[in-house]
Amino acid sequence: MAAAESQSPSSVRKVVVHLRATGDAPILRQAKFKIPGSDKFAKVIDFLRRQLHRETLFVYVNSAFSPNPDELVIDLYNNFGFDGKLVVNYACSMAWG
Amino acid sequence: MDISSWDGTISLAEFHAAACALVEKWKKVEGYLSLENIILVSIKEEHDELPSFPQKEETSCSDKEESIDIATLVQGQSDHDEICYYDLHIVYSAPYRVPVLYFRVYYSDGEPLQFEDIKKHLPAHSAKTLLDSKWTFITQEEHPYLNRPWYKLHPCGTGEWMKLLFQGDVSLARNGAAIEVYLISWLSFVGQVVGLRIPYEMLNQL
Repeated sequence: MAAAESQSPSSVRKVVVHLRATGDAPILRQAKFKIPGSDKFAKVIDFLRRQLHRETLFVYVNSAFSPNPDELVIDLYNNFGFDGKLVVNYACSMAWG
Repeated sequence: MDISSWDGTISLAEFHAAACALVEKWKKVEGYLSLENIILVSIKEEHDELPSFPQKEETSCSDKEESIDIATLVQGQSDHDEICYYDLHIVYSAPYRVPVLYFRVYYSDGEPLQFEDIKKHLPAHSAKTLLDSKWTFITQEEHPYLNRPWYKLHPCGTGEWMKLLFQGDVSLARNGAAIEVYLISWLSFVGQVVGLRIPYEMLNQL
């Protein structure tokens, strides 16, 4: 049995998040990160906004849905992660109207 | 369906099929439903509880549009002790060929909230999404069936981001499954504007 390092595993467990640019969104120099599972998805969104200097981003998981910012990263990873990571796609705002 | 040339919009018949899929996969309720009396769930206490979509019978169909009324639990801030109720309708827009979210928010005595107050009741991230995103803006107009003013999330742009959402997944195009999951995917995005969280059981269908 692995050493019990913590009483609440999800609070220290880190999740690998892979940020993928889609459409004409800029590609990040560093696209893979480890963040605490207990963080909310909002942190990923905010990080992207700051890195790309854009307020408007379209962020989605697995070509399927856009996670609510209050979801926990660990929950998203457990449900929708694969190959040991959570793939988060992002696109920038497109022409409006 | 050829995703590469698809513009992200759907026909009325496709909306119908997507609506059936939404409803069927979700606790096997029949027909289109309407929810009423959605209770606002506080973020702090009920963080782990995702909203459910209770349903009951009601259909309203017309030749041009179809509406699904979904009442649901919506998370929100609780600066006030007042409970706010949300009514959410999903109506098909023939001109834009996409679903449109109509909603209204009211206190327990039925008094509707002003838009400024709605914004205050939204969870912080929802308010930010609403205000910052170029894809979401809210207008107030007469509900296509109920002849009363409702708020509506404007549909322009929906086709574009739905196309974007699906185009990364070649298997969707091949299996033609895009239509069945269209509304769930769509709802995951627009629902954020009102603080809706889609339960994982639903998202796992995608």
